[in-house]
Amino acid sequence: MEKSFEDALKELEVIVKELESGNVELDAAIDKYTEAMKLAKYCNEKLKTATDKVNKILTDNKELVDFEISE
Amino acid sequence: MNEKYLKISDLNIYIKTIFDENPFLNKVFLRGEISNFKNHSRGHLYFTLKDEASRISAVMFYSSAITLNFTPEDGMNVLVEGRISCYPAQGTYQIYVEKMEPDGLGNLYIEFEKLKEKLSKEGLFLEECKKAIPKIPKRVGIITAPTGAAIKDIISTIKRRFPICETILFPALVQGRDAAPDIVRQIKEADSGKYDLDVLIVGRGGGSIEDLWAFNEEIVARAIYEANTPIISAVGHEIDFTIADFVADMRAPTPTGAAEMAVPTTTEIINMLNSYNIRLNEFMHNLIHKSKLRLDSATSSYILKNPLSLYELKEQKLDNLIEILNNNITKRISNYNLILNNFNNSYILKNPYSLFEVKKEKLIYNSNTLYHNLNNIITKNNHNYQILLNTLKLVNPLSILDKGYSLVTKDDTIIKNSTNLKINDIIKIKMHEGSVTAQVEEINK
Repeated sequence: MEKSFEDALKELEVIVKELESGNVELDAAIDKYTEAMKLAKYCNEKLKTATDKVNKILTDNKELVDFEISE
Repeated sequence: MNEKYLKISDLNIYIKTIFDENPFLNKVFLRGEISNFKNHSRGHLYFTLKDEASRISAVMFYSSAITLNFTPEDGMNVLVEGRISCYPAQGTYQIYVEKMEPDGLGNLYIEFEKLKEKLSKEGLFLEECKKAIPKIPKRVGIITAPTGAAIKDIISTIKRRFPICETILFPALVQGRDAAPDIVRQIKEADSGKYDLDVLIVGRGGGSIEDLWAFNEEIVARAIYEANTPIISAVGHEIDFTIADFVADMRAPTPTGAAEMAVPTTTEIINMLNSYNIRLNEFMHNLIHKSKLRLDSATSSYILKNPLSLYELKEQKLDNLIEILNNNITKRISNYNLILNNFNNSYILKNPYSLFEVKKEKLIYNSNTLYHNLNNIITKNNHNYQILLNTLKLVNPLSILDKGYSLVTKDDTIIKNSTNLKINDIIKIKMHEGSVTAQVEEINK
């Protein structure tokens, strides 16, 4: 399954904090850095290609249907 | 002359027309106390409004009654707005109530303060009970009316700031006496876990204190407090404070403000990503720089720069070892020399014959002893032999022959009995000197 934007961003955050804690060896740091860069790229692309998510409304029958704001 | 008598219904309809056409009676504001209150099963409310001296019948139809944000009851002082008309069937005039609110806002404030104090004492407003609002929500739930400015503001703000965020609207009545239970129902539904919401916005647009009253109800406050989903309250305008605002995990001044608190802007996220990028690159740059420094300091060490010095050290050590080795060997050799000299100087080695002499003496002594012993043995044995010989002579059968006896044998068997012989047997007769061979001629038993 494709990673969600939020999960990718969370992972990225964790890696940055881990690296900055200063307890990572060079080899591991390079791996983590590569992973972090991939995540950052993924997040960026997700943001740029993000299309508007459809808004939903819960009906009385407890069904979710598309919801448009009436002007 | 019946024509001067009117039908009652005609009169009542005429009177009704007078009421209906009078502009003053079409919009009347009344203040009074409710009595004889009846809530008809079809939703219409019937009651009497009275003051100290007078009373008037009142009816509030369902269509108007649903907007009430309180439950009317006997003895309650109310402000009503409506029109006066006639009910021809009864011949009564009454006020058709369109709007009604409790008289005296003071009452509401007292109620508000009482509830606020009660819930505060219970700890519903404590900071430590408040859940954190996630920075980047995937899905936002919204509990408000499906029409009106509030939902429009919230959704358009979310879409403008963070279009990849999903929203789910849980439509609720936000005004009138059914609003509070409806809001509670939708909070529970949204918080049921079925919708995977990261945050919930509960609110409505601006209005009078009565309009906002549902958000001051205890059941709404408790539902907000008990929800597991973080809740942002967004009731009315900046100046409006409701109980829901105090108990919510975060209070937004307006519905738009709630949307802004609920989601970040795409720009913020991009900035955040960029800052991560910069931090990562800086970190790697530093780490590589540090590692390089360590490498440099390691490679610039005296030993690695002067490998010969390592060799020199070893060289010196080797010399030392050789010296020690030489010393050892010399010492050992001189030791061995000493031992060898001792050997060389030994009496035995120098006079090997002395050893031989000793052996020779011993040999002579031994051979003498041996000879002597042997002689003794021979003499002794000779003696024994003579004794034995004499004895043998005594017991030898042949020695009997000396005395003239003869020994008869046949086939080398000594014959002791004549019955062992037959006529013509060849026998040998041995005598003391010589022997003869004879033939048996006669046997005597």
